[in-house]
Amino acid sequence: MLLVLPTISFVVVFFLIPLLMVFGQSVYHPPGGWTLWPYFSFFQDRVAREAYFRSIYIAFWTTLFAIFISYPASSAIVSIKNRSLKTFVMTLTVLPLMTNPVARTFAWLAILGRHGLINKLFIWLGVYKEPVRLLYTEGAVFVGLLQLFMPLMILSLVSALENIPEDLFLAARSLGANGFKTFIKVKLPLSKEGLIIGGTLVFTGSITAYVTPAILGGSKVLMLSTLLYQKASVVLDWNMATVIAVIMFLTTLFINGLLRRVGGIRKA
Amino acid sequence: MKRLFVLVFALVFLLSGLAFSGSKVYVSTWGFNLDLIDKNITKPFKANYGIDIVRELGNNSTRLTKLEVQKKNPVIDVVHFADYYAALAKTKGLIQPIDVSKLKNYDKIYDFAKDPIGGNYAIAYSVFGYSIVYRTDKIKTPITSWKDFWREDLKGRIALPNITITYGPAFMILTNELWGGKADDPSLSLAFDKLAALKPNVVTFYKRSSELINLFKMGEIWAAPVPRFAWGRLLATGLPLKWVNPKEGMLGFMSTVSIVKGAKHLDEAYKYIDFILSKDVQEAEAMDLVDSPVNKGVKVPKEIAEKLTYGEAQMKSLRFYDLNFIVKNRDKWLKIWNEKIAGK
Repeated sequence: MLLVLPTISFVVVFFLIPLLMVFGQSVYHPPGGWTLWPYFSFFQDRVAREAYFRSIYIAFWTTLFAIFISYPASSAIVSIKNRSLKTFVMTLTVLPLMTNPVARTFAWLAILGRHGLINKLFIWLGVYKEPVRLLYTEGAVFVGLLQLFMPLMILSLVSALENIPEDLFLAARSLGANGFKTFIKVKLPLSKEGLIIGGTLVFTGSITAYVTPAILGGSKVLMLSTLLYQKASVVLDWNMATVIAVIMFLTTLFINGLLRRVGGIRKA
Repeated sequence: MKRLFVLVFALVFLLSGLAFSGSKVYVSTWGFNLDLIDKNITKPFKANYGIDIVRELGNNSTRLTKLEVQKKNPVIDVVHFADYYAALAKTKGLIQPIDVSKLKNYDKIYDFAKDPIGGNYAIAYSVFGYSIVYRTDKIKTPITSWKDFWREDLKGRIALPNITITYGPAFMILTNELWGGKADDPSLSLAFDKLAALKPNVVTFYKRSSELINLFKMGEIWAAPVPRFAWGRLLATGLPLKWVNPKEGMLGFMSTVSIVKGAKHLDEAYKYIDFILSKDVQEAEAMDLVDSPVNKGVKVPKEIAEKLTYGEAQMKSLRFYDLNFIVKNRDKWLKIWNEKIAGK
């Protein structure tokens, strides 16, 4: 207990107290006292509502795709026996996290652009005659976010999978389970903690990301983070900015709770 | 939280105060070109007046928020802002009127720079034009007017400013005027309708000038309105580009200085403002391409002038809009923008 005290006090001082202050600011307005009105007025606005659900929708698909791509990738990484090769692959994995978000996003412009890699390829293959619009669509935002946050999923899955003793798979096989059954009954349940942590990280990241949707989605894909930016940096309406921040936070909290419940994990 | 902020700041400035001795002026500004600014302003200012400049760095909105937090006991004396944020700071009661009679160089600057937000709450020390740039190899009929963005041959090859960036509101007011509306019409209804109709032809409504340079470079766009300070970088792409002086004029934007309300080093603040308006400093900053001058006495060679907003002809063509009007209506415009332009 004593050992976790520094961590707990750090979290309380630098996370919990500021968070409560942010929340307090959003519901307390000196002349009128306590009110939830700003939250109602946010959801009353059609555009804000659409931005909210679009953000959730894109974050949901990003998380889902991240799981499906990362699981086999992580399994493969864990099975690498050569240590230096493993380190090399892990470094490659986290590389997107280490590049500047603006530079990384501009690289996507070069790939998805009208004269970009993908359009050139499709025209060369004869699929299209004219370049198609890939940039400034929901799809572009999705791809950008997927690349950005998948490393988080891979990292948490790798650490979960590494903790499973290999003997367990051998034991399952020797008791007559086929590969699929071993996966469903042994590997998946033992790695679900990693899935939940990774899922929360990817979802939270996707719903709060600003630069990627701003540049890849252009002005045609309005996201919750764009609204937050408008309120906080352009008109400096801190009350509404706080409301949006709290909505974002509660949404990620809810998703985390949901994932835990689906995964059947109780409080540790 | 406010108290904590004040405490931290007080501590930081106390410590930095111990490090220096003698008089100081606390200046809130951007973090760009600091080495050049040290050479052109900090060092000569110290040499001439014996005053140290202590800088607090950040973008416009962050620094404005900090001023708001320190409102009761301000630490900063002088604040640099983009013109819109100066008007916002004025509305929020964070800055005080400047006694221009104390400034020797005040009469030497262009008229538009003297009182950009009204009531002498700010003075512009730098200006830049904002105008159309296009590819001469792709667009055969020369662009001469802002209205040309609605031309058929530019379809799908243009980028325009997002309303959230500095140029956005002025561009909207200009559009409103172009199509027969008034510059003081707070609804901007003509502009929004015209832009909503144009939207399918617009590649994107950009938010950063670096984004713009990339779009030109990759051949995504052939024409866009561009701030003058990005012109040098655009020319460096080697593309056949032309800077247009449209018949309606260019849009003009300014960088301003103001004195914070309750500033503790007023004398030093006035000296600092007068100093950065002086011909020597303005010329040095122009030669290093940091800022385009507002002092009428500044002379620079042709190759430097080409990368600045400079000279009688350009100054005359600049169009400025009422910043207080923009501050008053921006929230409403954002909402309409989100509905009509960004939403769907």
